[in-house]
Amino acid sequence: MRRLLGGVTVAGLVAGLVMAFGVAPREATQGNVQRIMYLHVPSVWVAYLAFVVVLVCSVVYLVRRTEGADQLAHASAEVGVLFTGITIATGSIWGKPTWGTWWTWDARLTTVSILFVMYLGYLLLRGMIEDRERGARFAAVLGIVAAFNIPLVHFSVLWWRTLHQPPSLMKPGGAAMPDVIKYALLVNFAAFTLLYVYFVTRRARLLRLEAEAEA
Amino acid sequence: MPDNWGFVFAAYGLAAVVLALYWRFLVRREKELDDAGDVRRELGQAGAPAHAQTEPSSRSPLP
Repeated sequence: MRRLLGGVTVAGLVAGLVMAFGVAPREATQGNVQRIMYLHVPSVWVAYLAFVVVLVCSVVYLVRRTEGADQLAHASAEVGVLFTGITIATGSIWGKPTWGTWWTWDARLTTVSILFVMYLGYLLLRGMIEDRERGARFAAVLGIVAAFNIPLVHFSVLWWRTLHQPPSLMKPGGAAMPDVIKYALLVNFAAFTLLYVYFVTRRARLLRLEAEAEA
Repeated sequence: MPDNWGFVFAAYGLAAVVLALYWRFLVRREKELDDAGDVRRELGQAGAPAHAQTEPSSRSPLP
């Protein structure tokens, strides 16, 4: 099953690359540097998804105290931090030729960096507390509190005047872009979602094995 | 607007390296834990007594 998921994920990523570089046209205003969007936007989608899973699993853990929910939250947070890091790095690489700067303290960039640091703190907190049950409980509370930052990140471009452009796909009223660009993005969304599921299932299994080894 | 292919390849290359390193970490750690589990199981089997041992309290001293 895991091999099948891995194979489908690799096929999805290859399809995403073909869509990004072979099918999607050169963007008229930005040129080819816009192709970074087929990596940057799906990365932030996966980060949102990962942190929503952390929120749900944290609530489930606090209510039912199931170890599986805690392990899933831990795995999802780790993968979410990974994809948030990729989002920040690829956005910065895109920003240099487009905005003329690697970084600016714009509302979107600032809120996403706070999101990154909060979940990095979540992972550090888990590593700092030796008592497994206590660490899981504290992490679950932080996992719920940190999730309040997700809508702040997403809507920051609508609530404040920012250098970062407003959402072009995940916005009220539907996407405002040519179909070919939209499909290229959607294929990459699907591929990155598969990659998320693949990473999280493997990481959650590792956490279960680690817990068994310690017991 | 110039094409800036260098920035495009830098972004995709960086993401590919990060994801590949994370995947390698998962595979290696899983192998370590699976191997450790195998060793624990083998030790558990080797440590198991071939026949039942008597309780120390029920043993009589040697003559």
